[in-house]
Amino acid sequence: MSPTFRRYILTKLAWYLVALLAAVTLNFFLPRLVPGNPVDALMARFLQGGAGASASKTYQAFITQFHLDRPLWGQFLAYLVNIFRGDLGQSFSLFPARVTTLIGQAVPWTIALQLPAILLGWILGNLLGALAAYKRGAFDRNLFVTALALSSIPYYALAIVLLYVLAVAIPVFPSAGGYSFGTFPQLSWSFFLDALHHYLLPFLSLLVIAIGGQAVGMRSMAIYELGSDYVNYATSLGVSDRRVLGYVFRNAMLPQITGLALSLGTLVGGALITEIVFSYPGVGTLLFNAINANDYPLIQGVTLIIIVAVLLANFLVDLAYGAIDPRIRAARSGER
Amino acid sequence: MIERPRSLTRLLAAFAALALVLAGTTVFAQTLPRNETLYIGGHQWGPPTNFNPLSSSPAWPVGGNGQMAINGAGYIYETLFLSNIINGGTEPALGHDMTWTTPTQLTVHLQPGTMWQDGQPLTSADVKFTFELGKDFSVSTSAVWDYLQSIDTPDASTVVFNLDPARPNPGVLERYVDTVYILPQHIWQAVADQGQQALLQYENFQPVGSGSFTVQSYNAEQIVLQRNDNYWGKDLYGLPTPKYVVHPIFKSNDAGNLALQQGQLDWSQQFVPNVWTMKNVGTWLSSEPYYIPGSIPMMLVNVQRKGLDNVLVRRALAYSINYPLIAQTAMSRYSEPAKSSLIIPTGVESQYFDAANVDEFGWSYDPAKAKDILENQLHAKKGSDGIYVLPDGTRLSFVAQTPYGWTDWMAALQVVAQSAKAVGIDVTTNFPQAPVDINDVQTGNFDLALFYISGVGPDAPWARFRDMMDNRSVPAMGQNAFWDYNRYSNPAVPALLDKAGAATTIAEKKAAYGELDKIFMQDVPGIPLMYRPLLFYEFNTSVWTNFPTADNPQGTSPQWYIDVLRDVKLK
Repeated sequence: MSPTFRRYILTKLAWYLVALLAAVTLNFFLPRLVPGNPVDALMARFLQGGAGASASKTYQAFITQFHLDRPLWGQFLAYLVNIFRGDLGQSFSLFPARVTTLIGQAVPWTIALQLPAILLGWILGNLLGALAAYKRGAFDRNLFVTALALSSIPYYALAIVLLYVLAVAIPVFPSAGGYSFGTFPQLSWSFFLDALHHYLLPFLSLLVIAIGGQAVGMRSMAIYELGSDYVNYATSLGVSDRRVLGYVFRNAMLPQITGLALSLGTLVGGALITEIVFSYPGVGTLLFNAINANDYPLIQGVTLIIIVAVLLANFLVDLAYGAIDPRIRAARSGER
Repeated sequence: MIERPRSLTRLLAAFAALALVLAGTTVFAQTLPRNETLYIGGHQWGPPTNFNPLSSSPAWPVGGNGQMAINGAGYIYETLFLSNIINGGTEPALGHDMTWTTPTQLTVHLQPGTMWQDGQPLTSADVKFTFELGKDFSVSTSAVWDYLQSIDTPDASTVVFNLDPARPNPGVLERYVDTVYILPQHIWQAVADQGQQALLQYENFQPVGSGSFTVQSYNAEQIVLQRNDNYWGKDLYGLPTPKYVVHPIFKSNDAGNLALQQGQLDWSQQFVPNVWTMKNVGTWLSSEPYYIPGSIPMMLVNVQRKGLDNVLVRRALAYSINYPLIAQTAMSRYSEPAKSSLIIPTGVESQYFDAANVDEFGWSYDPAKAKDILENQLHAKKGSDGIYVLPDGTRLSFVAQTPYGWTDWMAALQVVAQSAKAVGIDVTTNFPQAPVDINDVQTGNFDLALFYISGVGPDAPWARFRDMMDNRSVPAMGQNAFWDYNRYSNPAVPALLDKAGAATTIAEKKAAYGELDKIFMQDVPGIPLMYRPLLFYEFNTSVWTNFPTADNPQGTSPQWYIDVLRDVKLK
């Protein structure tokens, strides 16, 4: 590793630490700026059977239990210390479950649903986009219009259409859940197939949109590259289509990598609407319900994971850029 | 490009084949047998985190919606008795009989042979222990100790509840006797000894109850119960028909309703729009309003706000609202048009409902009358925007709020806004997130708020009158109140409320409620908008049949009690 590259990495690392600290602080204060108090909603549910003179005592008991009676800076310090100990606290609305347990249950589903959809969508979309730019003509027109249409459909609309057509009108797919209700998760071939059966529709609804979006972006990039001198030169030399396409692809890829990193970073936040439409397990509904209940620890826990993932993804992209493209590394470390 | 369509067709064909193959695999996956499993929905929305009935968010069937012992009584834990919302009667559960030996003393005898699921006997000591948890700690049953003084256990199967003679209220005690889950002292004593925090944190993942089911498994997707074939009351009450009961945890109402329509759910507690159009799906009543009214969503009127502090303005507003339209649209015909009374006119409370009283002092949808009050009694003038302005310059413009996502409640407020505007009162709607709205309501920070008040139960409508009209122990605006949210007060109310609470005959109660209802209608601290069932009740008969209905009641009430699971039969 050259000294410039090491300096480049260290500077980056320092910036990311500052960003992390700022995000963690916002993470604590932003949910608390929302008017209302998590205990109010809890009490309303608690007292639905009937309130008595003891209600204010119960209210105080909850305030104490959640440490909301401590001064804000004290809560903040405790929060910082606990983060470094890996303790995200207990959820208010799903008391007494630990936030780490709740997130741990949901994250595998979210990653299993989103990671393949994003990666496959990215690869297929880029290939199709580059191909369209290169082939032009009818193929390009058809593909461009289709991709544009797909990328402009809100992903929840496609999800609802898919659900209606393939789970209600022609019920070949199940309408809800990560696996059949009344079935128990286990390491077996039959359970895997059952889970796959539930997986395909939500997966497809994300994949199709991802392909469309990537193809549109890649096509414009590739058309730009195709007009460049090196392509003309290579074509005039009689280099094969495949090879030219390979060059074009690699050059048009750079901005697409940034896009990929960002979507990989945010994917742990879950695909809320997809989860709701297909009643699919995941982080999205966990976060949504936490926000609806002012459940500070759970909101903080989920957003913390999103923050870390986004920063990490960006850092990796910076590293990759530095490694792939010497121009960037040189520019950032002050060399010309 | 000829290649593309061909490969696309091939891809689609492969996809369809895969779908069909996968559709067949459910048969081979290790699944509970459908003919032994009943699927229930609509009680649990988030991951189950505890089965502790004293906690703030117990999972179904120990808590579910937070309404204790309504939607899971007898499944794992049992109550002493069950209240029947159809006829107002009391049905035995752990208790054999209850008698008021004096006006302030209730004696309960337990059924012979009551036993915990671990084989230990269930005695009067367990009952005393459970109730006294509410005295020693701040838990959801604590409110009964506002009225209860002590509990005696003369022998192992007799419990004597002594009310505070200074505040006799037999109805409230009966409500708790019907809804408190009795807990085993031999398990919970050790938890209680560790104090309040430990008690609320106790997860109780393997609950030992006395009922017909045990928890077989649970995760964020479903809760599975398994029948307890050693149930102490199997000769007395019989065992449930299904061996397993599964509650899938859906992410939305729509997903649950779709599952009900497709027959994956057998029994559901959800708002289903146009339920009469669903094939194979039945409800308690076979025609409108399909459900039993159980509560009154109440538009609280903030009597402290300028404009609304004038009772004539409140009255004009009450006359302007199109109640039949709310029942038709917002409530999907599941409600009759709301009357101006705190008493539900149909069902078990009809014995207290005084139609003449309501006709004389109440209101109904009458825009002409509303205009008449505004113009001839208040001498208000219409501004250029069509909105009335009082002689003191107050423009009649208010905000009506209810939590976002309570769809039928939101729709009801939209009707209020439309019909008030048609008369000349400007009402705009506001739908904040639930915690924000609840905070506004409790601290009194609202003009008009659609909120819930006590529903049908052994002490109804007493608790509803208390919720709307009793200003005692209510903190000032800005602090959290848990009833009388608009801080309305009337000096005549407390004495009448105590009289109604202590009354022992129907006639006495009806007279006191009539007086209170009259004050309510004269002062208009709130406007009833519609009637809602306590819990929704729909069933799909493609696998299980013989669900109790009004035509086929089988002596049970449609309250999600264990009785229904004993009545169902395999198709």
